Amino acid sequence: MATRASPRVRSPAPAAQRAKLAGVAGAGREEARFERLVYERVRLGMMSALAVREELTFSELKALFAVSDGNLSAHARKLEEAGYVTCTKSFEGRRPKSIYRLTVIGRAALNRYLDHVEAVIRATRPG
Amino acid sequence: MPRSNTVTIDAHAAATLRYIRASMERAGSVAVPGFAGVVMGLIGLGAAVAASMTTLRAHALLVWLAAAPVAALGGAIVMARQFALQGSVWGAPVRKLLLCLLPSLFAGAIITAVHWQAGNLHAIPGTWLLLYGCALICASAPTARIVAVLGALFVLLGLATLLLPDRWHNLALAAGFGGLHLTFGVLIARERHGNQS
Repeated sequence: MATRASPRVRSPAPAAQRAKLAGVAGAGREEARFERLVYERVRLGMMSALAVREELTFSELKALFAVSDGNLSAHARKLEEAGYVTCTKSFEGRRPKSIYRLTVIGRAALNRYLDHVEAVIRATRPG
Repeated sequence: MPRSNTVTIDAHAAATLRYIRASMERAGSVAVPGFAGVVMGLIGLGAAVAASMTTLRAHALLVWLAAAPVAALGGAIVMARQFALQGSVWGAPVRKLLLCLLPSLFAGAIITAVHWQAGNLHAIPGTWLLLYGCALICASAPTARIVAVLGALFVLLGLATLLLPDRWHNLALAAGFGGLHLTFGVLIARERHGNQS
């Protein structure tokens, strides 16, 4: 009689590692909201860049991430709507100038997200 | 067997951290245009040719002293144009770049005056190359590693120049302020172009 092949399963992670992962998986609602927003890399990049620079102009952000005007505007608007960045519009001569800054809420959300990502790495690291 | 495109959680998290770090580094750094180096190099070579002319040979150091602000101005104009295109001529990274460059250049100006006063003209070219190299090594922090290599070469050339007889000094200055600027200007421009394409 032929024996039935057992289904292939991936070897489960060690119990201790699974427990650690379960601990970091339960991210709060704010983290989940932030994670959804920065799933698009340009938005995460904009937040990270604004974390080290007090302010960045639209042109500087455009040069940093090599995106089109329309694309960058859309990403910036999403971050503004979430309250993570502010935009101040002014004129330099006749040229409009938009300056972006990270808000206190945005900085806190980025820090929490960094803590979360680091915790995931720690939890999945063997030993 | 079809290849799996699955990305493990830790690999995704590590890639996210790398991306955040790279974005932060890019935002805090200055992209120095290679063309600025080319302009300064050409002015340096022009000064070397002028200083080697029979009529000006006795005043070679004065020729180089006159060429220095011209080259600095040329380089500054090229850089300011690029920074303006990127949105801010006077941003935080540019201020950091100047803060790195200026102390060594200021020290170079003071030491030059002291040597000149004491009639110790032999030490001036080597001091210029040495301290300019120090300024560049410091300026590599907010710019790029290649600037540190350029600075290190200037330092080595400066040390060698301090040991060389006077008749080699014009050649050493030409090799540094002309040749090294020009070569590294082209290298930086090529690297930048390569990164953009």
